Amino acid sequence: MVGLRRLIAGSAGTLLVGMFAGFVIASAVGVFVQDSGLFGASGESPVARAYMLGLLQRDPNSIVGIRPNQSIAQRAAELQGADTSRTTSTIQPLSLTYIGGATVGGYSVHIYAVDLRNSQGVDQFFPLALTVSGGKVVRSE
Amino acid sequence: MNEARAAVTLSLFAIGILAGVVVHSVVDRGPAENPYPTLPKVEEPRAAHDVVAAIGTDDAQSLSRLVDSKMLSDLDAALQPITDVRTTKFVGAVESEGRLLSAYVVTGKTTEGIDFVVGFVLRVANDQVVGVN
Repeated sequence: MVGLRRLIAGSAGTLLVGMFAGFVIASAVGVFVQDSGLFGASGESPVARAYMLGLLQRDPNSIVGIRPNQSIAQRAAELQGADTSRTTSTIQPLSLTYIGGATVGGYSVHIYAVDLRNSQGVDQFFPLALTVSGGKVVRSE
Repeated sequence: MNEARAAVTLSLFAIGILAGVVVHSVVDRGPAENPYPTLPKVEEPRAAHDVVAAIGTDDAQSLSRLVDSKMLSDLDAALQPITDVRTTKFVGAVESEGRLLSAYVVTGKTTEGIDFVVGFVLRVANDQVVGVN
């Protein structure tokens, strides 16, 4: 009985260690493939994409978890601004293009081109460079 | 007996690795779908290439001839906190109605000697660099 229990525990441990190794390997290979652009990968970060979509859709709630922590007053002010902006002006995104990026250590930079039409009907074409670290956008310019 | 046990252990480990890869592919779903149109990539504009080449070779003399003082100031802000540029990399360029954005990633060291990476974009119009973001 003890022998069987030990056998099961040992097998489960081996399986778990293998799973952990597989997860880490897949992660590392994924980062390498994304950064190098192999197999058609763009290198775009899901965090950066989510941030850009939140910005264009003027939905601060959707990006609250992927940017540095803000005080409650800052978050409330931002929600007020987004509400005002949604009701008083119409911004029509015309295109969102991921231009490219790179990773160094724990930091990755992702650059986008945004084309939008403001409430006066004027088209604006501008870039945004996002720095992502630890699953959050730590810099946007 | 020992060989059979080793084979079973290795098999379990291999199955575990496969399961880990499968779990990763389920958890890592990639970027959300982009609901907006995307612009086609274009080649790096010559004018922007020259500016970034001057940055990469630390050639302040050439850089001073290529862009005006306002753009130098903007470039300085865009490169912060890097003070010692090590590498420059062209990552792509897009064009919309004659307005061209050429994007670069720069790696280097801060004044404290910390490795850092920043991205900046040169605006190009009529074969000239007209802005830095």
